[in-house]
Amino acid sequence: MFDILSSIFPLALAYTAPLLIIALGGLFSERSGVVNIGLEGLMGIGAFSSAFFISSNYESLGDFAIILGIIIGALAGGVFSIIHAFASINMKADQVISGTAINMLSSAITIYLARSLTGSANIQIIKGFIKNDIAGLSKIPLIGPLFFSNAYATTYLVIIIVIISWYVLYKLPFGYHLRACGENPQAADSMGINVIKMRYIGVILSGILAGLGGAIVITTYYGEFSANVYSGLGFLALAALIFGKWKPFGVLGASLFFGFAKTVADMSQLFEALKKMPNIYFNTFPYVVTILALIIFSKNSVGPKAAGEPYDPGKR
Amino acid sequence: MSKKTISLLLSLVFIFSIALTGCGNKEESEAVKVGMATDSGTIDDKSFNEGTWKGIVRYSEENEGAIEVRYLQPEGEQHTNYINAINDLIDTGHKIIVTPGYKFETAVNEAAANNEDIYFILIDGTTHSEDSFDFVKHDNTVCVLFNEHEAGFLAGVTAALSTKTNKLGFIGGMEVPAVQKFGWGYQAGVHYANKTYGTNAEIIDYIYQGTFNDAAAGQTLAAGMYDKGADIIFHAAGGTGLGVFSEAKQRAEKGEEVYVIGVDIDQYETGKISTGESVTLTSAVKGIDLAAYNYIDAALNGTFPGGEIVTLGLKENAVGIPEENPNLSEDVINKLEEVKQEVIDGNLVIPSTQEELDEFLNN
Repeated sequence: MFDILSSIFPLALAYTAPLLIIALGGLFSERSGVVNIGLEGLMGIGAFSSAFFISSNYESLGDFAIILGIIIGALAGGVFSIIHAFASINMKADQVISGTAINMLSSAITIYLARSLTGSANIQIIKGFIKNDIAGLSKIPLIGPLFFSNAYATTYLVIIIVIISWYVLYKLPFGYHLRACGENPQAADSMGINVIKMRYIGVILSGILAGLGGAIVITTYYGEFSANVYSGLGFLALAALIFGKWKPFGVLGASLFFGFAKTVADMSQLFEALKKMPNIYFNTFPYVVTILALIIFSKNSVGPKAAGEPYDPGKR
Repeated sequence: MSKKTISLLLSLVFIFSIALTGCGNKEESEAVKVGMATDSGTIDDKSFNEGTWKGIVRYSEENEGAIEVRYLQPEGEQHTNYINAINDLIDTGHKIIVTPGYKFETAVNEAAANNEDIYFILIDGTTHSEDSFDFVKHDNTVCVLFNEHEAGFLAGVTAALSTKTNKLGFIGGMEVPAVQKFGWGYQAGVHYANKTYGTNAEIIDYIYQGTFNDAAAGQTLAAGMYDKGADIIFHAAGGTGLGVFSEAKQRAEKGEEVYVIGVDIDQYETGKISTGESVTLTSAVKGIDLAAYNYIDAALNGTFPGGEIVTLGLKENAVGIPEENPNLSEDVINKLEEVKQEVIDGNLVIPSTQEELDEFLNN
């Protein structure tokens, strides 16, 4: 049984990392009061940019290109999210429609760019991150093989970002201001907080994190940008955000939950002990749970109160 | 003159001018318009669409002025999306329509019945109605199938001869005939090599993942199989297979000796790692371009085999493994040539159904 666990754990963590970071992006945006269903599109922009950068610079920069690549993926996501920010903050557009537009625009523009820049809609990278044991830590009995073996560096990066996010959101004035804009922007404004600025920061952070998620997808398990990258990870992240009750550690738990459900479902066919488990339940699990969570939580709505509403200073 | 008369006159002039330009165009171009509707994914998917399109383009390049080519990406993957795409091509004057993939079966069935003057080339499927899988014959349609099991067989023999751990894996996409045939051939190939060449290989895991685009699941499955000691995995899983390649490449970068056998096209490039080597042992390829090329030619020259189901295999050089296989040893390549010759001569019949496979394995 332990070998099965030590086989599943590292893979589940690897799959959870991009899901978690994208969901965390959604958290920043929604906490500032802007609903962002464009996460899928922002992830795609990050995936495309990092794949394009790595594939064209690996020869000259070597492994350094991979690290630069994920930074560029994150930045590209951030830049692209400004469109969403402008439409939904300055123009007071419907945020759901603007987010949908981001998704549609992203999948079209990345394929178009890929084709015109490289001649093919598929951009392959020679090398991405490689799973490694963490020296020292992987020798710890029990925990070592589960958490510190066969792991991608990006997984730890994501965990660190979650902890920093929690600290920033709940321990620093900036976090209070950001959350205030998502709960009651009029009150925040009356206290001298620049709501427009805070919401811009929230949306751009969500773009950066979703873009980073896309870059992680490419550099860990996809290895190639193509139209297939848009397979709903951004929407699953939204589900994790809701299931995690818009809280950093809640989102962490929800993402882990989804990540494990999927990995166990995939792996179940490989092990005699798990073969009898019906993997259809594991596969549908995240979606069923999200719907149930929505039904249960929507009564005492735990989401940011002002999320989805354009800020109108005249309204009290 | 009243306003009405003027507008009537203007519209008449307009209609007349359109009619005239229409005539003019017809006289100018003699080229037959060939249209293609794409299967799921884009035109440069390195698989079905790209292969088909390559064949069409090659024909137009080699026979300048004979055909005018164009492709259309349907808006979705449902029957109606495909019908709409085909109708759009017909409405814009396309006389030969090429559709790759079994998903077009019902759409082509309907379109072929409604447009008897149009030639249809359906690759990798047979026309049937929406309620039954029985073949429906249309005199203006040729259905092209491939002997995937023959390519899978060569993959199996290659794997059995090349493995060091004697453990092999198989990851399929959806459990559809084209994928199943690759898998059955693969099992038969391993069995044949064990019997004929005294190898001792065993397929430890044989799994249909269920989709063609879940790279994460592909990686998970591959990681599990490699962990259990397999050193060669044959994937017939499209985009899901990318995850298999990611896993193999990461292991190869660390110095592990693991390989992937690619599918549909030569995937040597896909398997390349930073040292310049590739994790692609070989690929079970399907000459999709050949099918498009041959039947466009047939339609133009009056030899179109309408109403037939044509099967292309090793004999027609339409399936097999690539010409160049840098990862295979001389010995393996020679043995593969022997096996290939046996199949072409008809001495060796590769199982193409589950029952035939069971029988083959018992002998």
